[in-house]
Amino acid sequence: MEEEMGIKNLAFTVSPMDPEAARTARDSLELVFHMSNILDTGLDRHTLSVLISLCDLGHNPEALAAVIKELRQEHPSAQQRTMASSVP
Amino acid sequence: MDDGDRRAVDLVKELVHRLLSTSPSSTTTSSHQHTRLNPNPIIPSDQQYHQALRYAIRILSSRMTPSIAADESAMVESIKRRLATQGKSSDALTFADVYTKFSSKTGPGSVRNKWAVLYLLKTVSEDRKIQKHQSTSVAPNGFLSSALSGGLPELVGSESNHNLGLRNDRSKVLNNLQGYTDNSKDSRGLVGKLGKMEKGNSDGSLSDDFRSLNCVGDTSRVLRGKVEAGKGWSGGVLMVSKDPENLRDMAYKEFVNLSKEENEVSEDVLVRDVLYACQGIDGKYVKYDKNEDGYVLPDWMKVPRATRSVVRKLCELGWLFRKVKGYISESMNQFPAQDVGTVGQAFCAALQDELSEYYKLLAVLEGQAMNPIPLGSEGTCSGNYLSLRRLSVWFAEPIVKMRLMAVLVDNCKSLKGGAMAGAIHMHAQHGDPLVNDFMKRLLRRVCSPLFEMVRRWVLEGELEDIFAEFFIVSQPVKDESLWREGYRLHAAMLPAFISQSLAKQILRTGKSINFLRVCCDDRGWADAATEAAAAVGTTTTRGSLGYGETDALESLVTEAAKRIDKHLLELMHKRYKFKEHCLAIKRYLLLGQGDFVQYLMDIVGPELSEPANTISSFKLATLLESAITSSNAQYDGCDIRARLRVKMMPHNTGDRGWDVFSLEYDAGVPLNTVFTESVMTRYIRVFNFLWKLRRVEHALTGTWKTMKPNCITSHFFSKLPQAVKLQLILTSRKCQVLWDEMNHFVSNLQYYIMFEVLEVSWSNLVKEMELSKDLDDLLAAHGKYLFSILEKSLLGERSQELNKTLFVLFDLILRFRSLADRLYEGINELQSRTTETSINSGDKVKSRGKSNDKSSEPGSWLGEGRKALTQRAGEFLKNMGNDIDVIGKDYTTIFEGFISQLPVQKHIDLKFLMFRLNFTEFYSQLQPITRGKLF
Repeated sequence: MEEEMGIKNLAFTVSPMDPEAARTARDSLELVFHMSNILDTGLDRHTLSVLISLCDLGHNPEALAAVIKELRQEHPSAQQRTMASSVP
Repeated sequence: MDDGDRRAVDLVKELVHRLLSTSPSSTTTSSHQHTRLNPNPIIPSDQQYHQALRYAIRILSSRMTPSIAADESAMVESIKRRLATQGKSSDALTFADVYTKFSSKTGPGSVRNKWAVLYLLKTVSEDRKIQKHQSTSVAPNGFLSSALSGGLPELVGSESNHNLGLRNDRSKVLNNLQGYTDNSKDSRGLVGKLGKMEKGNSDGSLSDDFRSLNCVGDTSRVLRGKVEAGKGWSGGVLMVSKDPENLRDMAYKEFVNLSKEENEVSEDVLVRDVLYACQGIDGKYVKYDKNEDGYVLPDWMKVPRATRSVVRKLCELGWLFRKVKGYISESMNQFPAQDVGTVGQAFCAALQDELSEYYKLLAVLEGQAMNPIPLGSEGTCSGNYLSLRRLSVWFAEPIVKMRLMAVLVDNCKSLKGGAMAGAIHMHAQHGDPLVNDFMKRLLRRVCSPLFEMVRRWVLEGELEDIFAEFFIVSQPVKDESLWREGYRLHAAMLPAFISQSLAKQILRTGKSINFLRVCCDDRGWADAATEAAAAVGTTTTRGSLGYGETDALESLVTEAAKRIDKHLLELMHKRYKFKEHCLAIKRYLLLGQGDFVQYLMDIVGPELSEPANTISSFKLATLLESAITSSNAQYDGCDIRARLRVKMMPHNTGDRGWDVFSLEYDAGVPLNTVFTESVMTRYIRVFNFLWKLRRVEHALTGTWKTMKPNCITSHFFSKLPQAVKLQLILTSRKCQVLWDEMNHFVSNLQYYIMFEVLEVSWSNLVKEMELSKDLDDLLAAHGKYLFSILEKSLLGERSQELNKTLFVLFDLILRFRSLADRLYEGINELQSRTTETSINSGDKVKSRGKSNDKSSEPGSWLGEGRKALTQRAGEFLKNMGNDIDVIGKDYTTIFEGFISQLPVQKHIDLKFLMFRLNFTEFYSQLQPITRGKLF
């Protein structure tokens, strides 16, 4: 189910949904997932598909990486962040 | 703002949701089971969720540009290297494999920004690595860490490792930032209001806020000093860590302003101008300057010097292009009127092709020039814009090529044909593979007409050369000199890649074909040519050869030459009976056929004693005919007999028939290539010499007939008075000794000529004739044969002196002959007289009447008594003796001269003559003692 969602997400970038494109999209995602595993990023397929879409939209990968890093922190980090923003 | 933005926001929401709902503990521990969802996901509180979302959007909308250039393959390399250095080389391999598959996915549905994805993966992976490290070493004493950081909340997130190096730079820039920090004092309040600003993410002011934030961060960092420099704890506001980008932005803006001030013209205008100039068209500013001879920016324009020089450098291409283009159009325009030549045309076409490549490049560049040059780091600079600097990189290769073309144009302007190909070939001798390849490509085109000419010439014998470009030129000549003079090599047109020997072979092959066609009227060569082409594997059609295939050319030429020469020689030997004719010439002109010569001498002799102007050549011709029919020559084929003719040489007054008579042999059409007129005159010279030698020999034998001792009967001697008898014996003895000496000389000379010279040369000729592979060899063999005969028979240049002496000797011998004739006539008369008187007186009257006829000649002996007769005879004999003495003396002197000159000659064969003449060393002994005296 998760995978389905991922593909849908990725295919989101392709307007007419022809089967060929869908297949390429699935393959690409699979490959990216594989690479991600090798690199031990700890991202699942769905997250990856979201990230790929964001990258294709031209978002800075560094920034995305930063978001992932930050949000992955445990909940205290979120509190820390709120504190950081409040302190001048 | 609209669709795309909304989608982005949706995606970010989704992302945040995913990230928050995934248990961090599970992701950190189960490194290879990331797909696994947390069995019981922590449902984040709404507030947390919103905070995180806000945060994420803030980060993402920061408009940071990636700190490294977008290079996909470099990224892959760095990932692989990282994996390899971590000792996961198998992972690295797998990664490379997966990546190749990934990168091959193109088209709809594939990931468009592959680089970004890769970079993202890499960064996440690195982050996780660091995190893991912390979680093992730092996390247990998390309190300590917070103590270390001064209990203060982390403001400046310790950047990921690659940003560490930037810190020092940042502190340097810090001072410059002071002004901004001041400004930020007002906006400091904004920081507090950040929470409300989530909607303003698309607002430009946001970045300013960040900047101020950053400044604050900086100051605080400075306060803390380097305490946390080595600390890898990541947390706090990461945003702040990216401040160098913002710094860069500011610096860029400043730079843009500065450059706008400095430059009157913007760079893209200049780029466009340069592109125009490179097509030989004046641009808006960059124009062709006649004085400078190049495209330059006008002086009045306010442009930095660097830009000016870059423009100038780039426009060299335009200048070169003008030159090349000018040459092409010039030669194309004058084409019908003036002969540019096929090679020249090919050259122009090849240049044109190169130029069209160049046009393609220019078109691409012009397309790129449409993209604005980004000044500063304004976001998406991925477009292929064109700056002057980029242009100079683009132009690096074309300029080298264009330079080469210009050099070629300069060098080849005045050349054509083979010379042009040769000149280009010289330029192709270059170590740079780029230059070499370029030249090869060019030459392939340029040489194709030349090679076509070679092919046609070698296989068809056609000289298709309207513009005189080929290295073989033909001259209109008569058929008989077609071989020798009809065609020759034109050295200036011979390109260096065809060697001299190959060129000669090419020349000969085509010449053979033409010779066969014109002189022999033969068609068999066509088969030979086709066969040759088939053997090499090329077809007889056009364009099968090219530059750089010299081997193929050589083998084609060799094969064709081999077959055609073979065919020609076969024809010469079989149909035209070259050898038989050579033999006939040797037998008749070189007097090899003994019986024929003897007979001819006998019957022609009396005729030839007449003065030259009274002799009819018709009569001589009939005499020759009878000589042929009555000797063994009659068995020769009538083809050969018909060719033998009498030739009277031009004569002066007082010349005898002997001097002008000669034989001639008419070789006929194809063979007169070998037996040319000059060759025949040389044969006639040899003939004349041999004829004279024969005549002298003939004369000497004739003399011998008269002076044989048995002619003078003993009876006659006994009747003579003692004094006369003694004198007679003395005189005839003198005569005989001299005759003997002369005979010795002449017969040995004859022997030498016949056996040492003619036969040896002939056998050599036969040997070489068998070995000869083509007509040139045959000609050379024959030439050598004739030359050796001439040289060895003392008719050559170097032995002129000797030859003259020889002829004087011959004349002396002939004089001796007539003297001896007279002597023996006198003796015979005396004999008959004495017998007459001694017989009974009854016969006296009769014999008197008989001798009456002769009375006029030696003085009338008749009617005077026996005493008077004796007296007269004595006187006669004495005179004769004196004459013989004189001749003998002359002969000896001259002969000695001859003998002494002989060793001077270089021929080894003359040593044999010398040896034969001086077998007993008689002359060499005689010389020092009695010089000039033989008797």
